[in-house]
Amino acid sequence: MFSLSSEAKVGLFVLAGLIILGYMSFQVGKQTLGLKRGYTLDVVFENAAGLDKDASVQIAGVEVGRVESISLKEGKALVRLRITPGVKLEHDAIAAVKTHGILGEKYVELHPGTRGAAFLGPGEQISRTERQTDIDRMLNQLSLIAEDVRGVTSSLNRVLAGKDGEEAISSILTNTRDLTRNLNNVIVSNEAALRAALENTRELTGNLNRVVTQNDEKVGQVMDSLKAASSAMEKTFATLNEITGGVNRGEGTLGKLVKDSATADKLNKTLASLQEVTEKINEGRGSIGKLINDDETVRNLNEGLTGLNRYVNKAEQFRTFLSYRGEYLFDKSDAKSFLELRIQPKEDKFYILGVVSDPRGRWTTKDITTGGVTTRTEEWDRDGLLFNAQIAKRYRDVVLRGGLLESTGGVGVDYLALNDKLKLSFEAFGFGNDRRAHLKAGAEYQIFKHIYLSAGWDDFVSDQDNRSIYGGFSIRFEDDDLKYLLTTTPIPR
Amino acid sequence: MNRVSGALDRLGRAVLENVEEMGKILLLFISVLAWMFRPPLKLRNIFKQMEFVGVKSIFVVVLTGTFTGMVMALQGYHGFRMFSAESLVGGTVALGMTRELGPVLTSLMVTARAGSAMAAELGTMRVTEQIDALYVMAANPVKHLIVPRVIAGVLMAPMLTVVSDFVGILGGYFVGVHILGINSGIFIKNITRLVELNDIYNGLVKAACFGLILSLIGCYKGFNTRGGAEGVGRATTEAVVLASITILISDYFLTAIMF
Amino acid sequence: MIKLIDLHKSFGKQKVLVGIDLQIEEAKTTVIIGRSGGGKSVLLKHIIGLLRPDRGQVLVDGTDIAKLGDRDLNEIRKKFGMLFQEAALFDSMTVGENVAFPLREHTRMKEKEIRETVADRLRSVGLTGVEEKMPSELSGGMRKRVGLARAIAMRPQIVLFDEPTTGLDPVMTEAINRLIIDTQKKFNFTCVVISHDIQSIFEIGDRIAMLYEGKIIEYGTPEELRASRNPVTVQFLSGSIDGPIRIM
Repeated sequence: MFSLSSEAKVGLFVLAGLIILGYMSFQVGKQTLGLKRGYTLDVVFENAAGLDKDASVQIAGVEVGRVESISLKEGKALVRLRITPGVKLEHDAIAAVKTHGILGEKYVELHPGTRGAAFLGPGEQISRTERQTDIDRMLNQLSLIAEDVRGVTSSLNRVLAGKDGEEAISSILTNTRDLTRNLNNVIVSNEAALRAALENTRELTGNLNRVVTQNDEKVGQVMDSLKAASSAMEKTFATLNEITGGVNRGEGTLGKLVKDSATADKLNKTLASLQEVTEKINEGRGSIGKLINDDETVRNLNEGLTGLNRYVNKAEQFRTFLSYRGEYLFDKSDAKSFLELRIQPKEDKFYILGVVSDPRGRWTTKDITTGGVTTRTEEWDRDGLLFNAQIAKRYRDVVLRGGLLESTGGVGVDYLALNDKLKLSFEAFGFGNDRRAHLKAGAEYQIFKHIYLSAGWDDFVSDQDNRSIYGGFSIRFEDDDLKYLLTTTPIPR
Repeated sequence: MNRVSGALDRLGRAVLENVEEMGKILLLFISVLAWMFRPPLKLRNIFKQMEFVGVKSIFVVVLTGTFTGMVMALQGYHGFRMFSAESLVGGTVALGMTRELGPVLTSLMVTARAGSAMAAELGTMRVTEQIDALYVMAANPVKHLIVPRVIAGVLMAPMLTVVSDFVGILGGYFVGVHILGINSGIFIKNITRLVELNDIYNGLVKAACFGLILSLIGCYKGFNTRGGAEGVGRATTEAVVLASITILISDYFLTAIMF
Repeated sequence: MIKLIDLHKSFGKQKVLVGIDLQIEEAKTTVIIGRSGGGKSVLLKHIIGLLRPDRGQVLVDGTDIAKLGDRDLNEIRKKFGMLFQEAALFDSMTVGENVAFPLREHTRMKEKEIRETVADRLRSVGLTGVEEKMPSELSGGMRKRVGLARAIAMRPQIVLFDEPTTGLDPVMTEAINRLIIDTQKKFNFTCVVISHDIQSIFEIGDRIAMLYEGKIIEYGTPEELRASRNPVTVQFLSGSIDGPIRIM
């Protein structure tokens, strides 16, 4: 039995204790030790309430020092900061006492100042401080604001409380309501026309564009005159402004306007006639009215809208992925490449379209008829690209696939694990008449966002000496542009 | 009247005895100090005592430390949850361990384990005349028996406290992070934010004081044992009780001085 | 060379020694006899300075050790060896370490010399090859032998024996008595023995002192004692319950 003397045991224990102590001291003292060598800066605050010795000093939330001492100087708080060596502050740095959250502790926040200015040396004073927004001050401000608000509301109250005012306002409101309802009706029923108008505009702009490109010089002139016109307009607006300003001054406040029953009457009348017009339109009188009240128009419009809706939704749901996959076949010393497009109209369903370049090519059977003699040749067609076209459905962690795999019929199963980072897959295809099916088993693991590593065993039951271990990588990313391209291209149903 | 004066008499006697005892312990301390710096020091004896007080107490100290940390984390969690400040559990456990519980609990455990053993050992030596034998052989028992134990107590209590602090925080970490699901980064961040180097060091200074108290009292009680096996038992009990009380009381004063 | 003059000692109200006058002769064996709890051990502890008298003098080679400081007292103590009642071996040390203790404490002997000296002293008390044993592994008789070996390790001028034969069987008692006589002859030290074992007293004692009620009431050779007319002595030596000695 291996035994230790008491000296050795004590030595071992003391050593272990010292190591633990050293470790803890290091962990705890990391900042403090660095700080011992730091330099001091003074700040004078109006009020340093709540700030403690050893409170944190931060720049942009990063601790750069501690409060070393707090003392009184000419009725203000002189706070001495110890700043970590290597942290430099410019002469126009700003200091402020801030709080972590509402109940959190106080700390000193520094803004380093403008870059390039001279640095503050040890023992110097930060001259600029920001007044702290303490809760008292905030409450004071708030009560002042509340006072103002009350003033406004009470004067409004005085204006509106009168009987006249009340009546006037209520009639204005009623009229406005009717007006807006009618307007709404107009707009809704007019949508088709609007669309047509827009169509025309587009056409027009297309034509314009053509015209413009053809008549560059003329356009330049037109633009110039337009500019002149707009400056003239500007002047017009200015005068208009003056006029309205005068009106404003003349009429006085809103209160006066409202109280002036003559104005109110006028406004009422105007609104009433507007109402009359819209009612006429509504009843189908007049040409606009007829157009708008035609049921067919509305139905067409509706259909159009729902179609649009579906279309937009589909585009939102649709996801497309592009991927390239390279597999190095160790036993063949050659590589196999896959380029695939994955279209995923729903979360649990997708299509895979792709091309595969297989160095072994494809096992083909050709019937060649020359001079009435038909010879059948079987060979690996090395030039041909192979195609993948599969439909896949996902059930929880399992994906079932089927369709064309490397230009032959086949099926595949994927099992996804570790938040879809790891994919174990098995494929079976090429159920040829005279050779064994092509079986492939492999795993794929996501190492970075778009990069996957894969490995497995290809064609492992081959009877044509085609089996090979493979290893490779793939790049896969989601493509939004492709998605819109796909959804706007008409797909035959 | 007689009964009253009898009670007063007993009370006065008890006070006097206690004062006298304190004085004697102080005198013993002084003579320990004197002998401590009088060569030759028997290093082997010191190491033997250090092994006994320190190495052999590790298990019990680790056990109490770990569970104390775990319990603190659990209790602290339920309290802090009311203020949504669960992340403070780490800092609280670390601060509590390093400042108070580490030194105090370690010292109490060492008192129970080693302080009592010191009293029993010296008590037995007293009643079997081994201490007289030392005198007869012109060897000072304070130097031979008490100095190594006191040195071991003063040195080993802080070491054990370091271990206790560490495993306590570890226990708190285990409960806080793995059972209660506090974010580990925040847990540790709060430890380093709240705990200062001085907290650890003052805790160790405390532990050294407690180590002195428990070894001195254990030795004093053992050294002054009277009356055979029964006396040894009494000395042991008295040593543990007196040392524990003294540690707890002096803890208050040490804390008041230090923090 | 050891002279006790008018020694008084009391514990609390109990007066243990009241005026002891005794001269112990050099290179002789003096046996102090008396009742159990009669102050014999207290007397012995005064001789070696473990207790200090309330009054009176303890002269060792002319020095009054009752008035010495610790340092000088320790110098005097180096002349002494003592075998305690239960041997008082250090439990935490092996037999060898126990015997070597005074050598390590007071001499600058090399480790090899120490080992040889220890073996020699153990051989003197009739033990060989027990150096590595712990005291708890030994029988009572063997422990006493080791205790004696430790007491004579420094070749002291005076060896004190505190009831060396108490608690031993007759054979072992005889063996220890022989041992005391033999080692005394071999090392030629002054021997002070406390005992109440009558058989042993006459076997080993050159001089016998009878302690009764805090005083030496008889002193002389064994023959003189046997011829004593003092009723206390007569009763004590005969072991009778009739006589002046009060039985509680």
